[in-house]
Amino acid sequence: MSGTQVVQPSDLKEGEGLGRDAEEPLIRLEADIGPEGRFGTRILEVTASRVRVWEPDGVVSFQVPLADLKSARNEPLVGGGRLEVTTKSGEIVPVLAYSMSLAAKFSEAARGIEQLARGEALLINLKQERMRCAKCDRLLPEKDGICPACVSRGATMLRIARFLRPYQNQAIMLSLLSVLTTVLNLAPPYIQGTLVDQVLTAHRNIGLLFGLMAAWLLVLASSVGIQILTGRLIAFLAANIAADLRSGVYRAIEFLQLAYFDKKQVGAITSRVTQDTDRVWGFLVDGVPYFVTNALLLFGVIGFLFYVNWFLAFCILAPIPVVCAISVFFWKPVSQMYHRGGQKWARFHMHLNESLSGIRVIKAFAQEDLEYGKFEHRNRELRDAGVRADAKWYTIFGAMTFFTSLGVLINWTVGGYLVYAHKMTLGDFWRVNAYLGLVYGPLQWFAMINNWFSRAMAGAERIFEVMDADPERYGEEAGYPITGAVSFEDVRFGYDKSNPVIKGMTFTAQPGEMIGLVGKSGAGKSTTINLLCRFYEPDAGTIKLDGKDYREIPLKEMRRQIGLVLQEPFLFNGTIADNIAYGKPGATFEEIVEAAKAANAHHFILAKPDGYDTMVGERGAKLSGGERQRISIARAILHNPRILILDEATSSVDVETEKQIQEAVGRLVEGRTTFAIAHRLSTLRNATRLIVLEKGEVKEMGTHAELMERQGVFYNLVQTQSAINEIIGVGT
Amino acid sequence: MDPKTLRLFYEPRDRLRLTIGTERSYPTVKPVWAAPLSRPGRYLVLLDGKGEEITMIANPKEALPPESWAAVQEELRRRYLTATVTAVLHAKVEFGATYWSVETDRGRRDFVTQNLQENALWLSDHHLLLLDVDGNRFEIPDLRALDSTSQRYIAAIL
Repeated sequence: MSGTQVVQPSDLKEGEGLGRDAEEPLIRLEADIGPEGRFGTRILEVTASRVRVWEPDGVVSFQVPLADLKSARNEPLVGGGRLEVTTKSGEIVPVLAYSMSLAAKFSEAARGIEQLARGEALLINLKQERMRCAKCDRLLPEKDGICPACVSRGATMLRIARFLRPYQNQAIMLSLLSVLTTVLNLAPPYIQGTLVDQVLTAHRNIGLLFGLMAAWLLVLASSVGIQILTGRLIAFLAANIAADLRSGVYRAIEFLQLAYFDKKQVGAITSRVTQDTDRVWGFLVDGVPYFVTNALLLFGVIGFLFYVNWFLAFCILAPIPVVCAISVFFWKPVSQMYHRGGQKWARFHMHLNESLSGIRVIKAFAQEDLEYGKFEHRNRELRDAGVRADAKWYTIFGAMTFFTSLGVLINWTVGGYLVYAHKMTLGDFWRVNAYLGLVYGPLQWFAMINNWFSRAMAGAERIFEVMDADPERYGEEAGYPITGAVSFEDVRFGYDKSNPVIKGMTFTAQPGEMIGLVGKSGAGKSTTINLLCRFYEPDAGTIKLDGKDYREIPLKEMRRQIGLVLQEPFLFNGTIADNIAYGKPGATFEEIVEAAKAANAHHFILAKPDGYDTMVGERGAKLSGGERQRISIARAILHNPRILILDEATSSVDVETEKQIQEAVGRLVEGRTTFAIAHRLSTLRNATRLIVLEKGEVKEMGTHAELMERQGVFYNLVQTQSAINEIIGVGT
Repeated sequence: MDPKTLRLFYEPRDRLRLTIGTERSYPTVKPVWAAPLSRPGRYLVLLDGKGEEITMIANPKEALPPESWAAVQEELRRRYLTATVTAVLHAKVEFGATYWSVETDRGRRDFVTQNLQENALWLSDHHLLLLDVDGNRFEIPDLRALDSTSQRYIAAIL
């Protein structure tokens, strides 16, 4: 962006001399896009008297006096934003551009510039956010978030291990049994060796044969016993730890702020409860014992090999580094290939799912061939990925087998010679041969342990991220009376902080009043409701209930006093009675019927074969829209809140049902502070007052009649709507 | 509307204006690509100050007078901050996040992506768009045009 004026550093010194205070930077922000649109740094500086931009070489490339400015804003661009100021003469001047990473900050700075230009106090929140990890300088996935690389693995391990605490006796038992299993595994070859030396080659001591066989039988019996015990212990630990982990994560998710759910898909959150917990307990219960047992075995066998014959041991172990190397070097590409195959599977599934659920549309447009083409494409991708991954796998597996077999070959060569030359007994040779199988087998999988470990750690971190996320501050304090007076005082809010949707909203609602919120879509009606329910909290300004900042009221108590009737009511799978009683657990059947009657639902409920015991199906799918709506109204009536929110409660139903719902709503709103959003403006005729919103600001306020008389924004909305209704009337 | 009658120019210096023949004039014009990813360089829409469409030009490069095309290109360059990746210097998946270090037409840049299922968009078999955690955009118009090291990094991750 070109500047309006270029000031050399020498000029600046004079400026500073004129008034040091006036030139004190009040806002100083670094942008990440340079003048020619290339990545680079430029600095926005706002002092009490002017806005200017410094280039990295110390040149001021832009400056404009604050006194000339009317407003400032963040102009959204594709992949970034641009700070723009509007001068008093109405000219829009671009100041500097920045990437999306900085858009929120510059939006805040724009607000600051406006405040300063109007001579107000500077009230903005420009806290320094960390973009990179302080320890390793890696970029952080979330600003001010945790650095996944620097979360100490040791600490995470310890935290995971803490889930073992309730079962520590079983865990200790399991470790002891693992050691015992190792020892028992080593026993049979040893017995065989003794048998070969003392009985078979010696051709005597036949009594020893039976003695050794008895010992072997004992080893066999006890190792089977231990195996059963270990299996049962693992099953117990696995099930318990898995259940604990899932409960822990679910409970943490329940209390997460809604903003968290906006950023993530339900599927991604679900996978934390299912997949990630699986990875963690799988590692804890299967991975750790596997690793410990095999490591012990390895050291035991290597020790024994050197005890028998160091030269033979050395020769036999020579290929081990090669096996390890193959395992380490080739595991990664192979696992990547399988991972890619997994992703292809996911895409294939998604496509299959989509096309089957959209089968009506496909048939209606006669696009079977097109869909088949897409399916074929995905299917071929899947086939190719599978072939590639498996082909590579078998190659590597073959190479590995070769090197592990090499160990046996070496044993026969070197060991064979040693036995031949009477430098080793046949029994020892036999033992070595048997132990080899025990060592080389697990060795092939050692590289997998690392991968296993990494996946478990990643899963654990995702779980702990949820558990450590800032929860909603729920209070437990009960019996906090609210009469229902609501006031918004200069409330500002944006889901994305660079783009405020509520800009300085102020109004008051008296207890028992019905307030209609009116405005075009995107005016901020639903956001106002979201703020009122405290699903989100204002970025600036306060919302008061009974004259008290609602952040000081225990959340649980506050929500207990708010009732919600939505356009698309959400019913849980269960009976009609269960769903009505959701607003007041423990309600008597009489209360439920009473509420259903008040909601005009009693009649249709009785018409169903199972009456109040009718199952509503998943999300209430077995009921019609009007029926669901009346049940949700009954639910709200039973909940008996002081503050009631109706979000398009009567749209999307036929006229007769609407009348019934209107009647029910009429009974519901009595004596409660009600906020209603309705698309059909005529339905808000009963409202005590209407608040007309436009672009996140209150434009008009008053009764229906007053606003009609004023012939302002509301009047125009009503006119447009009746005109449209007429057109639709003609059209149908 | 004949694109040849469109005259786009900066007046004042940072505001793109449009005059159509001698009949109409728009003090603020915002050019946007209708389908920047699938049909790059084609279907340019001119919006007025309120965001209403003035006209759509199928082949702006050929259809617009050269000076007007130059002015539009300048404005597009300012509005589209998508970076075109020319080389992947380093890329690594760690703990669910992918760390990238790339050379782009706008210079070097490091960024992090998460959840590549959603944030790596395949626009065709060789055309890729990466969205980082903040929503910054990194486009690779043709994977085959990258050097082999870059291709290997991408193949290993995606």
